Amino acid sequence: MSATFTTLTAAPSRSILLFSIQMAEDNKALAQGLKRRDPDLLDHLIEQYQYRLFRYLLYLTSSRERAEDFFQETWIRVLERGHQYDGKYKFEAWLFRIARNLVIDWQRQKKMQSLDALTDPEEGAPIEFAAQNQPSPLHLVLTAEEKTGVHASLDRIPPVYREVLVLRFQEELGLEEIAGVLAAPLSTVKSRLYRGLEALRGAMQGGAA
Amino acid sequence: MNENVHPRAEKLIAQERVEGISQSDRYWLAAHLRECPNCAQMAQQTNEALRALRGMAIPLPRGLAARTQFRVQLRAQELREREPKRRLLWVMCAMSWALGIATAPYVWRAFEWAGERIGVPRLVWEMGFGLWWTIPALIAAAVVLMENLRLAHENNQPE
Repeated sequence: MSATFTTLTAAPSRSILLFSIQMAEDNKALAQGLKRRDPDLLDHLIEQYQYRLFRYLLYLTSSRERAEDFFQETWIRVLERGHQYDGKYKFEAWLFRIARNLVIDWQRQKKMQSLDALTDPEEGAPIEFAAQNQPSPLHLVLTAEEKTGVHASLDRIPPVYREVLVLRFQEELGLEEIAGVLAAPLSTVKSRLYRGLEALRGAMQGGAA
Repeated sequence: MNENVHPRAEKLIAQERVEGISQSDRYWLAAHLRECPNCAQMAQQTNEALRALRGMAIPLPRGLAARTQFRVQLRAQELREREPKRRLLWVMCAMSWALGIATAPYVWRAFEWAGERIGVPRLVWEMGFGLWWTIPALIAAAVVLMENLRLAHENNQPE
């Protein structure tokens, strides 16, 4: 009985271990390819991550045109700085961090406040990524049908919370990876996620009412 | 039912989705949700909200990947063309440095001899030697710095 139990519990952990090793090897191969500036690899990565990166940039910039510009700039940066990816973390976490830093740099250049200061309601700052009178990115991209119901509720969540919710539940990044993307402490990420979940639920209840 | 159990259940519902909970907490929460319709509803609302978030579709601009691939290829070509120049710069720096070290004693003597012939103070010809030694390195550093500044400037200009 005990042996059976051991086998049953050992099997999944072994498969998880094998999966982790495979992932680490894949990341290492990816890092080597990026270091070589392998054109086929880059083409493949652009195809593979186009949806996820564009969606994330749309949440950050609130503009389809700007998101598209930053999308291209992000991949140029990946080409130029590919040697900096060491394969220790998921590629997408590194990719999102590059994209986020580009947006922050651009905002700083535009003599605006930094993204964090601009969007962190915990610091008492305004909480919109874009100007308050502009429609949110979600509002812009949703169809008329989607602008009602659950989607409309999601639209009401403060962007700073939506960003972490997106990274956690759409992109399925780990907490530490999100902390890496945001360059924020783990405690901040958790706190934003809890508040984000609460806001999401609240927005849904508000929408249903 | 104890009033404190509901806040605990609410906390665990969120915690389970954000960072995970222990097996014992999971058992406790499942048992509580079976007994408490309000907390069960809250858990269901959370699941529905997250399902909606995950299922949200955003249309991609047409040809986005193809346009990006084209730009990246152009940039890669530029970088490839620039690579030999950069390599040449580093090779020249390395050679200059190696030659500088190899010839340092002779150059020192040459400066010493010239200094004595012209009659300049020792400090002056020693400074001359120092400049002769450091100027190539300073020029190389300035070239690399300018190149990096130019790259940074290019990177900070999204079109």
